[in-house]
Amino acid sequence: MEFKHKKLENGLNIIGEVNKAAQSAAVGFFVRTGARDETDEISGVSHFLEHMLFKGTDKLAAHEVNSGFDDLGAQYNAHTTEENTVYYSATLPERLCEAVTLWCQLMRPALRNSDFNMEKNVILEEIAMYKDMPEFDAQESCRALHFGNHPCGKSVLGSVESITSLTSKQMREYFESRYAPNNITAAIAGNFDFEKICGQIENLCRSWKPRQAERKTEFFAGTAKREHQKRKNLNCQHIWLASPTVAYQDEMVYAATLLAKIIGDSTGSRFFWELVDSAIAETASMHCEAMDGVGVFYSYIRADRQNGPKAMEVVEKIFRSLQKEKISADELQKAKNKVLSAITIKNEIPMGRLLELGINWVYLGQYRPIEDEIQRIKNVTLADIQNLIERFPPADFTQFAVGPQ
Amino acid sequence: MPEKTDIYKLANGMTLIGIPVAGVQSAAFEFLIPAGAAMTPNGCCGAPAVIEDWIFRGAGGKTSRQLSDILDGLGLHRGSGVESKHINLSAALQADNLPKAIELYADIILKPALKPEQFEYSKQLALQGLLGLEDDPRHETMLLLREHFYPDPLGRNTAGKKQDLQNLTAEKTDRIIAENFDLSQTMLAVAGKYDFQKLCSLVEKLFADGKTNDKKNITPKQRPLDYYHHPHDGAQVHIGIMTGSVTPQNNDYYNARVAVAVLSGGMSARLFTEVREKRGLCYAVGASYHSLKETAGIGCYAGTIPQKAQETYDVIIAEFKRLADGISESELQRAKTGLQSALVMQSESTMARAGAAATDYYFLGKVRTLEEIKQNIEKTTVKSVTDFLKNNPFETFCSVTTGPVEIKPV
Repeated sequence: MEFKHKKLENGLNIIGEVNKAAQSAAVGFFVRTGARDETDEISGVSHFLEHMLFKGTDKLAAHEVNSGFDDLGAQYNAHTTEENTVYYSATLPERLCEAVTLWCQLMRPALRNSDFNMEKNVILEEIAMYKDMPEFDAQESCRALHFGNHPCGKSVLGSVESITSLTSKQMREYFESRYAPNNITAAIAGNFDFEKICGQIENLCRSWKPRQAERKTEFFAGTAKREHQKRKNLNCQHIWLASPTVAYQDEMVYAATLLAKIIGDSTGSRFFWELVDSAIAETASMHCEAMDGVGVFYSYIRADRQNGPKAMEVVEKIFRSLQKEKISADELQKAKNKVLSAITIKNEIPMGRLLELGINWVYLGQYRPIEDEIQRIKNVTLADIQNLIERFPPADFTQFAVGPQ
Repeated sequence: MPEKTDIYKLANGMTLIGIPVAGVQSAAFEFLIPAGAAMTPNGCCGAPAVIEDWIFRGAGGKTSRQLSDILDGLGLHRGSGVESKHINLSAALQADNLPKAIELYADIILKPALKPEQFEYSKQLALQGLLGLEDDPRHETMLLLREHFYPDPLGRNTAGKKQDLQNLTAEKTDRIIAENFDLSQTMLAVAGKYDFQKLCSLVEKLFADGKTNDKKNITPKQRPLDYYHHPHDGAQVHIGIMTGSVTPQNNDYYNARVAVAVLSGGMSARLFTEVREKRGLCYAVGASYHSLKETAGIGCYAGTIPQKAQETYDVIIAEFKRLADGISESELQRAKTGLQSALVMQSESTMARAGAAATDYYFLGKVRTLEEIKQNIEKTTVKSVTDFLKNNPFETFCSVTTGPVEIKPV
């Protein structure tokens, strides 16, 4: 695999990892903007804007965008998080140029009022949909509780109120301030010719004007508050926990990923043996979400109403015992094996590789070859893990639970 | 490189299928064991969900913990699921570890410990899973839809029934395993990097003496397609609609797949355009083809707030019916490109290849090459798809809603 990079004069970064053996090519535009970059007044605008990009440009109507991608046989989508808005597609290599042209056009959208008003209905439906998904809904509430006034606690979807009162003018202003070329990375992975695609992006995007697009990235350890919401229409207790950990930029992020696997992987972890194997909880998992300047360990436990309190006793015991019952070499090795094989499997597909490639660049401003990632996982020691537990005891968590009790 | 499919049949009837994938370091495999939801005796609905967990709780003289430790040590990405006819056990891993993993799965399938005390945990987890499903109305709607659409017992809820699960005992479940874990109807598909000769010797050594039974026949009972409402005090009405289609064995299979792609293949397809883009009725709306060996259908899902439920339902039904009026050349081309391109992209995943090969072999008794599928898609024309739709118009529907209000069905 060969890595290529070019930075345009207006600040747009174009990166590519060429794999001539691949059957497809994936392209993505990574915009460094998300819920944390919004004010309360425009809560949800990043995600709404992501929808609006598919509504076309001054020259392209919405249906032409959809048929444009479908004509290419593209698998395409976009997602918005607290800090990134990512647009991506995979096509056969011979259709990549056309997909790139489409994306470059869409990055300068028309944001028509008629489309804005129609799409508002879809966003409100999406908010309603997640209300019927307690696992997701409870995580949103847990995140908000954990981060308190820190910007990372803001809702990606926004609320019915904020979306209803949002105007297309506010969205245009937000777009102007955040979709500057110096705040965007274009990434390509798979089977393609970098010089050709790069030239094409340069031609289509060089006229974009740079603009300052800053973000506050102060660390926050979380509020450690605990709240519970009773909802009669639920059958299970859905419990989310959040505790601080390292940021994406921290070298210890590999240790954090492994620690989350050791404690909360779906098989063979401490959660698995103490909670799932004995049927106290139907599901118990933990994962590390490393972000820009902050990081969170999230745990999710789902149990029936009788077992909810017992499950939490066990979780607290597991967390408290981490300092005494130290992680064993065997546990670390198993976690490494799982992560390493996941890296192999994910990176065999250009779309999987694209997301890794783009996100690495957004956070680190550097390229990490797969071999490098693998070595960093292998280099994590038991001392690193123990050090992480001491710096960020998972027992100091924020808790949000929702359920029938 | 020309496409190759390796097939080896053991004397006991078990089939080993190999799909080599160039340039990968991983291998993936999938076992299809004929012990799915429809194969379970009456009154034991949910047993496969218990079995799927119980067989991993120790096997081949190893305790549950030892077995799990070794599997995790191999870096295995495990998956398992209950389907209408099968329990599937799948995994992906670094190719070097493949033989060791197959050995462990042979123990899990042939020599599970099946300790009664472990059974209780598996049963409790299945019951909790059923409870959790009630908190996931979208998923529950689609399970109810298949249950009401397919002839009984083919559409049985794979998560089970509460009463049946509560009454299930270790002894009863043990007997079901003995009857249904029939190697003569079992398939193992491997895709990625592997040595087929070595794999054949290994599978021969591990499975040749395994048990076979007489093939079990079930007689499905057709039921009228009707409307069912499941009350749920939620934010949305979750709508499931299913109508009949042809199975992969049928000559019109590719015409049917193209028709579904015209209806819901991409964001420019009819459903997304009419329901979401033009009317803003839903966030999630889509239809997909689903098949069992005996019968097939097109299932559609949409979720919307109660005030918009009826309009959403009506627009979807109208779109199903409008297909019989014909499709355009551009719709055909778009559908073909989408299906063919998705086929190539899925082929890059060893897990997807193994799963598709096992299913193909079960449905057709052979594995279709990517080229064969591409050519068959290419052969469809506006006339062939339109003729198919005229001869098989979508007239009857099974409809399920979960939510605070009912709709008026067609």
